[in-house]
Amino acid sequence: MQINLIITLIAVALFLIILTTYILKKGRISEKYALLWYGMTMMILLVALFPNLFVFISEKLGFKVMSNLIMGILIGVLILILMALTIMIAGQKKKTILLIQEISILKSEIRSMKENQ
Amino acid sequence: MEKVLLIIPAYNEEDNILNTYQSIMDYNKKNKTKYDVIVINDGSTDHTSEICHKNKIPVVDLIHNLGIGGAVQTGYKYADAHQYDIAIQFDGDGQHDVRYVSDIMKPIKEKGIDMVIGSRFISKMDTFRSTLARRIGISIISFFMKLVTGKKIYDTTSGFRACSKKLIQDFAISYPSEYPEPVTTAEVIKKNYQVLEVPVEMKERKAGTSSIKAWKNAYYMMNVTVALLAIKIRRYKKCK
Repeated sequence: MQINLIITLIAVALFLIILTTYILKKGRISEKYALLWYGMTMMILLVALFPNLFVFISEKLGFKVMSNLIMGILIGVLILILMALTIMIAGQKKKTILLIQEISILKSEIRSMKENQ
Repeated sequence: MEKVLLIIPAYNEEDNILNTYQSIMDYNKKNKTKYDVIVINDGSTDHTSEICHKNKIPVVDLIHNLGIGGAVQTGYKYADAHQYDIAIQFDGDGQHDVRYVSDIMKPIKEKGIDMVIGSRFISKMDTFRSTLARRIGISIISFFMKLVTGKKIYDTTSGFRACSKKLIQDFAISYPSEYPEPVTTAEVIKKNYQVLEVPVEMKERKAGTSSIKAWKNAYYMMNVTVALLAIKIRRYKKCK
């Protein structure tokens, strides 16, 4: 692998680490998802630091070029993350509905209690 | 005597809600019945809420629009909290006729049925004119309903239905937010509750527009089909 490609990959990985850590520090991401992004970053670092390992794996799996293996892995990971997010949204929706219902019932009960006083 | 609650979900029904409420109160007076009413105002942007408060109609104002499923479930939560024996879903737009409430309640009181659906297609007295596309849609859903539950339900999208106390408690805990009519029907049958259809007449909408728009029908059909097939492969705790 060319040296400038390795440098680019390391730069991207560093940027992701700094970005994730910054968001985590601000408390805008849960630890669970921060870990996920650190994992992604680690993968990029692995490719940059041990390119030969991936060349070996991609040859064994029948990929013509190593970059196709990397792309394939990345797309797979992204699909998994999207799935996890869709599941999370459904869970959030349930909680929101529950909250709206309970608050609305409480408000109407408070209102009728006030009217009856 | 059983405590009976009519759950009326209402989204922008300022033109109909007072008439609907009045018709129920008139019926109560004439027939010495004691149907209670709760309007669930699903975040209406018109004067539905004001009209209810001004006329002392019992109402829960949802602080945000939830859609029909979330609104109706709020009604079941209310029914559960106030220990109602029978809850009846009743449209706020004047489509449902309060005279049929006793008909759809009767099997619950007399035969211990858990859910009674007021059906437009089960008898000949069908005066409800719906479009051909809608009728085809309804029979496709009916086909999948039979496939999933093994039971023929003619009017799977009817929102005019009565539930027993046991089912009120079940619905208060979990109720689908999307496509609630066919989905609950299938789930309830899978849970071994007793379900029955009785014939009712429905009127044309008096004012306002129906929430199901023509162009949405195909999308609705696909979603309901997926929802029903999901119920087919899901496992449910059987009721006792």
